[in-house]
Amino acid sequence: MTEIELLNKIKNNPSEFSEFFKLYYKPIFGYILRRTGDFDDTADIAADTFLKAFRNINNFSYRGISVKVWLYRIATNEVNLYIRQKKRDSTIFERINVADNDLFNSYLNDDKKELEAELQKHEQFLLVVKELKTLPVKYQEVISLRYFEGKDNKEIVEILNIKEGTLKSLLSRGLEKLRNKCNQF
Amino acid sequence: METQNFEEKLLKMTKPEVNQLKHQDMLADAITNAKDKSVVSWWWLSIPLFIIAMLTMKSVYMPHTTLISNIKELKSQQPVTSVIFFLIVPFCLIIFNAFSILKIWSLTGDHKDSNSVRAIWVNGLMIFFSIIILIFYAL
Repeated sequence: MTEIELLNKIKNNPSEFSEFFKLYYKPIFGYILRRTGDFDDTADIAADTFLKAFRNINNFSYRGISVKVWLYRIATNEVNLYIRQKKRDSTIFERINVADNDLFNSYLNDDKKELEAELQKHEQFLLVVKELKTLPVKYQEVISLRYFEGKDNKEIVEILNIKEGTLKSLLSRGLEKLRNKCNQF
Repeated sequence: METQNFEEKLLKMTKPEVNQLKHQDMLADAITNAKDKSVVSWWWLSIPLFIIAMLTMKSVYMPHTTLISNIKELKSQQPVTSVIFFLIVPFCLIIFNAFSILKIWSLTGDHKDSNSVRAIWVNGLMIFFSIIILIFYAL
């Protein structure tokens, strides 16, 4: 099924959103996890990202970008918002109605255990993320998309809606700053 | 040269991967159910508004009739229909939309975007029209 077919299905029947979720939730969750290095923040930001996507899905076709790029863009904005505000007043899980709260929390705890164990396996990555988070957001987003997500210039330019020259300059300066911070490697 | 080496290290470094997320399906359902039902509300509201528009036209084109007299006539001739569409429906819509505004307010928290502001505005507009219908019924 193409992106357009899936979007039309969701527009006609919002319950088809679960298909959309199956396709994109995991990669976007992974992207946010690799940017924050924290499960709780990631779960909250990912849920907010998909709630925004669901509420705006009818306007999507007018944006002229792929669904994945659009989701990366929303997720990037949500992560940046989180970094700037440092803390959130309430988590999205306190604000949405889940069918079975206990079961949902138990699933969430299982996922947390698994992913925290996964994070611990990548000690060097966590050290780099810790240093990356001390840099301005503009460097964090380009470095994360290029070196953690493996995106090329064209994709990053689309996701961040910036010019290629700006991207190259941010990457070069950001990398230099990060290298200075990680000089122990 | 050092930057190039560092770049290679970053690319080769192992990164955490997400393989399975148990909470995914339940979260998808919760988000799908969080969508507001404003279209349904507008459909219910359109019926009494259409009747009021018809009665207004009737009072304009029929001599010796006024909107108030036409509403009184409707109330006496169609007591059940008028109570349903001019009393029960707007009253329910006021409650429904007030709850909807509270829900959107709590869902969006501090991050109100243009869509949530528009949704609150539409809900407010429906409350306004519902009150207008109740006033017409009380005339």
